[in-house]
Amino acid sequence: MLLQILVSGFVLGCVYGLIALGYSLIYKSSGLMNFVQGDVLTLGAFLGYTFYSLLGLPYWLSLICTVLTAFVFGLFMEKFVIRKLLRKSVLAIYIVLATIAIQYILQNAIQAIWSTKMLNYPQIFPVPSVSVAGIMVQSESIFCIVMSFVCMAGLQFFMKYTRFGTAMRAAAMDAKAAQACGINTSLSTGISWGIAAGMAALAGILLGPIYGVFIMLGSTIGRKGFAGAIMGGYGNMYGAIVGGILLGLVETLVAGYLSSTYKDMIAYALLLLFLFVKPTGIFNERAITE
Amino acid sequence: MEKNKKLPVAKIALCMVLLALPFLFTAVGFQYGVLVCCFAFLYIIAVSGLDIDFGYCGQISMGHAAFFAIGAYGSVMLHQYFHIPIIFTMVIATVLAAAVGAVIAYPASKLVFHFLSLATIAFGEIVYSLLLNSPKGVTGNAVGMFTDSINLLGFSLSSNESFYYFGLACTAIFLMAKWLMVNSKVGRAWVAIRENPHAAGGMGINVTKYKVMAFAVSAFYTGFAGAMYAHLVRYIGPDTFTQKQSVMFVTMMLFGGTGSILGPIVGAVLVFSITEGLRMFEQYQMLIYGALLLVVIVALPGGVYGEMKKLAGKLLQKGKGGEKSAA
Repeated sequence: MLLQILVSGFVLGCVYGLIALGYSLIYKSSGLMNFVQGDVLTLGAFLGYTFYSLLGLPYWLSLICTVLTAFVFGLFMEKFVIRKLLRKSVLAIYIVLATIAIQYILQNAIQAIWSTKMLNYPQIFPVPSVSVAGIMVQSESIFCIVMSFVCMAGLQFFMKYTRFGTAMRAAAMDAKAAQACGINTSLSTGISWGIAAGMAALAGILLGPIYGVFIMLGSTIGRKGFAGAIMGGYGNMYGAIVGGILLGLVETLVAGYLSSTYKDMIAYALLLLFLFVKPTGIFNERAITE
Repeated sequence: MEKNKKLPVAKIALCMVLLALPFLFTAVGFQYGVLVCCFAFLYIIAVSGLDIDFGYCGQISMGHAAFFAIGAYGSVMLHQYFHIPIIFTMVIATVLAAAVGAVIAYPASKLVFHFLSLATIAFGEIVYSLLLNSPKGVTGNAVGMFTDSINLLGFSLSSNESFYYFGLACTAIFLMAKWLMVNSKVGRAWVAIRENPHAAGGMGINVTKYKVMAFAVSAFYTGFAGAMYAHLVRYIGPDTFTQKQSVMFVTMMLFGGTGSILGPIVGAVLVFSITEGLRMFEQYQMLIYGALLLVVIVALPGGVYGEMKKLAGKLLQKGKGGEKSAA
């Protein structure tokens, strides 16, 4: 029982981690908050379903196509909406609201393109479940955990050891100084929004086979992902992963042992608790204070 | 002198129109208009309250649906379980909303902008899930609750026309109170905090105290609007008090223009009319709503009232400039 709960908590936690990582990336690179993440997750799940189940592409190819589409979506969103607003130097609330507006549009567009019905992925792996330490675990769950870690490690590698990643970190640290060094800060911000969207879509295509695909799949996950990001320390990459996984575990443990009615509340209660008591999070990230 | 003479005439004319509006609607056979006005009144009160918090004190709240819910559910539950007459339950529930607002605002007053919006969203979600899964089902959970209309000194406000006058009176009182508040020492402190909290603190303003005060007052306004909503519709369910409602309040406020008495009125009336008018496109309501929001953000950053004022100012300046050059 406990092992089963831990595994499903870990799957959910990895998804929260991917979403929270996107929040942190965007906050680090542009100091903004993005409410679209959750619905990009939904979009990813639907796109993956379309590529894999309707168009009959192999799973790995549909995964890549989905992530790339979402990446372009994130890039365009930054280029055509957020950057326009930033140029006008509007209040920060307008940018937050703009992302909420895009969230509504995206939600409704998904509903119009696909259906309001719940869709199910056909089986992906030849073996439906694997025995781990005496319990049967869905292969998709294992794949979700493995892929999340690969993605997180890949991002770390990209940010730390590649030329472009270094440029992005420089742009996040001090945009003006980076620009003076010849770094295209506008491009690097756009890329970070794109990466965030790509990760959310990846979470969607990984989660879709486990939870099923429906319109509201992502919106709650997106909102609860903030709790993960805050717990780890908003803007901290390791914090996002640790906070996300912790949130997933706590939520599933509470749902499994205490009561499933209050499992949504736990995430928001943790969010408030951390904001009020320790706003810098587990990793003591200073970005949150003025 | 002339201006002073002119103003009361316009004001009296406006009052006459407002008082006669239900009869006008009945005369044209557009009964539905009265109900729309009733809703507009309660939204004006709610959005004016939110404007005190954001437009004057500079604190965003993306969770005001929670106070709307506390006002509505508080009033309905007090009436149902304790049999207190409705008008008193409305007042008690509103005070309760303000108290909860103060409790939340105290720790939240330290947070900077983005994180304040996250905290208020989280608070709104917690209240929403409490409504949906209340202990022992006191809120009726997903089914919601039915209730009676307001009984004011023996007169039942069950018809839309009678509620219209009640709403009109309440709106007038609340707007008057807002006008008095923002033009007092308190209002000036709020504006100082909005402009620069550090400088305000340096001037000897107790920043935390005034921030908490603004939040509580705005919760009071929104709570009362919630109570009005409950007894106008006579049914409440958790679906009315979701995150979407909070975003709607913020949209109304920004659409109209912040930091003024008229802005929230314009915003509440316009946005509510637009959403009512687009009822037939229910399926695409969110799409239209999102597009509307985006257009406002990109094209009208000062809100309708704010942009109009700017335009009027420009025209006036042009006129003056013209006179000068002519002279």
